[in-house]
Amino acid sequence: MAVERAAGGTSLIDVLDRVLDKGIVIDAWVRVSLVGIDLITVEARVVVASIDTYLKYSEAVGQVGSVSRPQQAELAAHQSVLAENVALRAELAAAKATKSIKAARVKRARAGARRRLTTEG
Amino acid sequence: MPKAQQKKKAKPQPKSKARKPPTRERGAKPVSSPLVSRGKLERAKMPAHAPKPVRPAAPPSQDEGKYVYCIIKSEKSLAFGALGIGGEPAHVQTVNYQNLAAVVSSTSLVVQDPTRDNVLAHQRVNETVMQQHTVIPMSFGTVFKTDDDIIELLRSAYEAFNDVLNKMEDKFEFGLKVLWDRDQIIREIEEEDEDIRRLKGEISSQKGSTYFARMQYGRLIDVALQARSERYVAEIFEALRDVSVASRSNKPIGDRMIMNAAFLVTRDTEEAFDARVKEIGSRYDKLTFKYTGPWPPYNFVNIRLKLERAH
Repeated sequence: MAVERAAGGTSLIDVLDRVLDKGIVIDAWVRVSLVGIDLITVEARVVVASIDTYLKYSEAVGQVGSVSRPQQAELAAHQSVLAENVALRAELAAAKATKSIKAARVKRARAGARRRLTTEG
Repeated sequence: MPKAQQKKKAKPQPKSKARKPPTRERGAKPVSSPLVSRGKLERAKMPAHAPKPVRPAAPPSQDEGKYVYCIIKSEKSLAFGALGIGGEPAHVQTVNYQNLAAVVSSTSLVVQDPTRDNVLAHQRVNETVMQQHTVIPMSFGTVFKTDDDIIELLRSAYEAFNDVLNKMEDKFEFGLKVLWDRDQIIREIEEEDEDIRRLKGEISSQKGSTYFARMQYGRLIDVALQARSERYVAEIFEALRDVSVASRSNKPIGDRMIMNAAFLVTRDTEEAFDARVKEIGSRYDKLTFKYTGPWPPYNFVNIRLKLERAH
């Protein structure tokens, strides 16, 4: 059968298929907060979170959806954030521990000083 | 600076002595709280009539924003005419930062609904800009409050945007959906496949229970359909490989569709691609092809934006 090319804007479905979640995408809640004044007045700004370009020739016969790669990237990012969290928590715990040791030392020293004072006085 | 002037200008004419708006300068005086709140309200109202003499050139009112369609490379500020989103199509122009430009139009500062008109306007602008420029398309509905916010985005993502624009230079996307008539293909399979034909004969002639035969028949048909669709799709991808730069395979929609793909094609191989698609179309007379484009490279760029606190 003869194949005719239709310009981009002729099928609403084809347009929606692209414009809603492809290209440069901004999360729905960010979109909402951009028009709400609050986040801007607290000096938030919009920056790039991730970039992917797809310049390979996909053989993809099966149902490998368009979203598989970004999801994986996000997953990786998510895991690295989790790992970072764990590391930070460990650091924090360590810091707290040393702090409490220090605090204990200070306490002891103060108590010692007081004792000394009372004995001297 | 101008705001301070406005305040001073507006101050000398308080509407009544009792409602004199307490200002920051006078804020040191102890004022009762209801007065303070009233003063705040009045100050908020002021810009509605005050800014005109101060900024005559571009008076973006409080609730106006900039709708962004796409990012292009341009050192000059450009205008594309009245094509934009809005009951009366808004004028489309650029907000520039160095060699980058965001293609925008003024809009009310609201989340735009993806209505037919709005979505088509978004696409119309992209299509127009694409004729002369390489674009990174924005997804639908991104409104920034001010030009400065957009410039800030272009500045912070400067290298990334340039890199993507270089990669997409002189490239378009084409869409190719392939559909088939399932029943027709099944009839064909029945003719070609002996086992299936035999089972069908069994089912139609047998008088007792045909349960097992029907199950078997269904399973064989499914397998055959799957194999055939995979073969078609692989052949079509293979046929378009040397006339395109990249391709992506999206999930087919509905059970008539066997292929839902996008191809990235350079400007100078567009004709070859076009001819190839038409040739494929004539080769597979049982398939229906939905061929669209050129599109901005929506399927080949995914840039996610997020909010960050400025320091």
